[in-house]
Amino acid sequence: MHRRLTRIRAALLGALCALALAAPLPGGAAGGGALRVCADPNYLPYSTRDGRGFENKVAEAMGRALGVPVRYTWASMRGPGGFDGFLRQTLRAGLCDVVVDVPYASINLSVTRPYYISSYVFVFPRAKHYDITSMDSPELQNLRIGFEADTPAEMGLKLRALITHADPYEIGDEDGASPAEILDAVTSGKIAVAVTWEPSIGYFLRNRPNLEVVPVPNSRSQGSPEQYVFPMAMATRPDDAALRAKLDQAIAQHKSELQAILQAFGVRLYQPASA
Amino acid sequence: MKRQALAAACAAVLFGLAAVGAARYGPLGIAGAQQQVSLATMSEDSGQWVMPSKDYAATRHSSLNQITTENVGNMHAAWSMSTGATRGHEGQPLVIGDTMYFESAYPNNVFAVALADYHIKWQYTPKEDPFAVSVACCDLVNRGVAYGDGKIIVNALDGQVIALDMHTGRPVWHAKNADPERGQTVTAAPLVVKNRVLVGVSGGEFGVRGYLTAFDLGTGRQVWRAYSEGPDSDTLIPAGFPGPHNAGVSTWHGDQWKVGGGTTWGWYSYDPQLDLVYYGTGNPGTWNPTQRPGDNKWSMTIFARRPENGMAVWARQMTPHDEWDFDGVNEMILVDIDMNGQKIPSLVHFDRNGFAYEVDRRNGKLLLAHKFDPSVNWASSIDMASGRPIVNPAMMTKAGVNVHGICPAAMGSKDQQPASYDPQTGYFIVPTNHNCMDYQAFSVKYKGGFPFVGATVKMYAGPGGNRGAVIAWDPVQGKIVWSDPERFPAWSGVLTTDGGVAFYGTMDGWFKAIDTKSGKLLWKYHVPSGIIGNPITYMHDGKQYVAVFSGVGGWAGIGLAAGLTEPTAGLGAVNAASDLKNYTTLGGDLTVFSL
Repeated sequence: MHRRLTRIRAALLGALCALALAAPLPGGAAGGGALRVCADPNYLPYSTRDGRGFENKVAEAMGRALGVPVRYTWASMRGPGGFDGFLRQTLRAGLCDVVVDVPYASINLSVTRPYYISSYVFVFPRAKHYDITSMDSPELQNLRIGFEADTPAEMGLKLRALITHADPYEIGDEDGASPAEILDAVTSGKIAVAVTWEPSIGYFLRNRPNLEVVPVPNSRSQGSPEQYVFPMAMATRPDDAALRAKLDQAIAQHKSELQAILQAFGVRLYQPASA
Repeated sequence: MKRQALAAACAAVLFGLAAVGAARYGPLGIAGAQQQVSLATMSEDSGQWVMPSKDYAATRHSSLNQITTENVGNMHAAWSMSTGATRGHEGQPLVIGDTMYFESAYPNNVFAVALADYHIKWQYTPKEDPFAVSVACCDLVNRGVAYGDGKIIVNALDGQVIALDMHTGRPVWHAKNADPERGQTVTAAPLVVKNRVLVGVSGGEFGVRGYLTAFDLGTGRQVWRAYSEGPDSDTLIPAGFPGPHNAGVSTWHGDQWKVGGGTTWGWYSYDPQLDLVYYGTGNPGTWNPTQRPGDNKWSMTIFARRPENGMAVWARQMTPHDEWDFDGVNEMILVDIDMNGQKIPSLVHFDRNGFAYEVDRRNGKLLLAHKFDPSVNWASSIDMASGRPIVNPAMMTKAGVNVHGICPAAMGSKDQQPASYDPQTGYFIVPTNHNCMDYQAFSVKYKGGFPFVGATVKMYAGPGGNRGAVIAWDPVQGKIVWSDPERFPAWSGVLTTDGGVAFYGTMDGWFKAIDTKSGKLLWKYHVPSGIIGNPITYMHDGKQYVAVFSGVGGWAGIGLAAGLTEPTAGLGAVNAASDLKNYTTLGGDLTVFSL
């Protein structure tokens, strides 16, 4: 009981300090003059401990914009608790202040404005010349499909009964797994076509020039909306409106710099269909 | 089911067999001839257990009375045996003559065991398409074998239907009722009616269009297949059908009926006098209800069909446009009930949606539909004229809305675990679930590196904190008489006997004997694993035995493994998998008890 109170007090104190420090420092950041970023230490192309991922570069750009250094709190997004466990250990524990790459409109997260839009994509060998432009393309009926499990790709395949000739990949659930694995499966012919989130594989496409990449359009063909295109944003704690406002301002001012970083990592940017 | 009705029925069965000239006695001799003549008559002999649900009426009631409320306290384990499989054991053995026949969970090991000395007369395991494992929705369960014409009929997970010679275990014929490559699997037990073998299909989660198939008992040739959706020619709805025509297409948007679900993975029963087969269909295809506007007929429906040609005589949809996954496949128990001084041939069905439906089985007319768990809140009642539920709008699931406290949860107030009818008390003894759910629909989420739009369902114990109960149901009043709460969903079937004792098992591994009248616990025994199978009873050498599978799993087991949360979810999820792990572990066994 005592320990718990102490911990709550410490958290409160931390929050008060953050507010106190943030308020008088326009253009600065919370967390004692640093941008405290929660990130995965070992998940290319997103982030690594030695700063090689695009989320590292995005965080650094935001730090520069706010005039403060970046300080990381590391935890796996793909450990036993998954992304929720990651949030619990980092952002929600008050150990850091921002996660730089989450879907805009995420439930239970307080997010900034979106700073890029990308999409799920079909990936297949260019030489095959498949005529695949949407989940309803007839050619998918006869092809072995690899897909990232528990994503809109899985939902779309199930809706069309394509799931029965499809293999799930669980890159987003397995610590240490590389998104390149699904590309290797296409290259080796284990699957004919992959359906996955483009930012996860764009970085690895540079060494695989023979692969064709086609975005999966949002669809209403089966009735209600299926979403494959997602705007992405940064997440803060709900009570940290001050930091959110600063990040929103920085995103607006440095949009082209952020997009250049993303493109350098092979992240293809898509326009929203509407919205 | 009354004896006179059965006696009359035997004539019908005899006639049916004679008509097709299927007098195939095989090596069984006279006994075989008798079985061939009338399975219905055989099922009257409570010394044996010749069909999955004991009799065609699916009563799971035995007239055996050696074990009584007085002496059941002295019951002990008589013999036991491993099934060689570890996944969920939802079925039950058959006892024919001096032999017990049973099938395990996948890989579907089938055994014939001599009751005299427990030696294995033969053993058979089908060669299966391992792909079936990846498309089986809710554990790799099996619900038992059937018997007919000297053959043991085996359904395998990958959709094979195999008739084995009951003496040698050698295959007599092979048929195929499902293709795992198309998401289809088979978990249900077959039912033999006249010269037909009825086999259903699972796979509602994978866009399967459900169907019931009849194979010829002698040859395995497919005789008919009745789809749950599609034009009348597919659903086998004839001209005189008392209901809308081609509703299997018109109550769907576009071609959605082609992946319309309505699978048939529950239990089947038969009234020989009316010559009608009864079964229920499962949830409509595409779990997301906003993607399939309309009533989605004939998902969630009780069907009455002719065994000869599959033609529908009546159909009653229980949950139109399902939004909660309330499959209508639970058993249909055929009992004559006194209603306002009139004995009505009824069908009693405890649906996953939490309502007990009592229907005139001649025509499908609704007699009574009451909640059998007071916590049910998705609908206030069933409109007696239309048969439609009066849905509580606050409990409807829709895009972008979080709905809290829907009762029952997706696994229903009762799933496939079959109830029993006890003619001495006039009660149905019903194993039930008691979970509610929070439904968070179509919110944007993230798993490390991948955005998605998800619907999440959180299940937790209903009011009172128990996740299951065994209840006694008075079908005349439409009321609960007594209720025994259980820590976990009561996922085993119930057996009632003329000794006044009812038997059931629990997921935490207890096999229990209770007083049918009062629900009072009389005896219990802890078996090797949790029980989701169905107890049976038989006589051997003048002595009554009670047998049950243990081997936890099934959807309830998987649901637990996926992490149920406590009602105080705000304090964080309690790992309910470890909760079950504190009581039991996986493993298939048969345990047999006697005095």
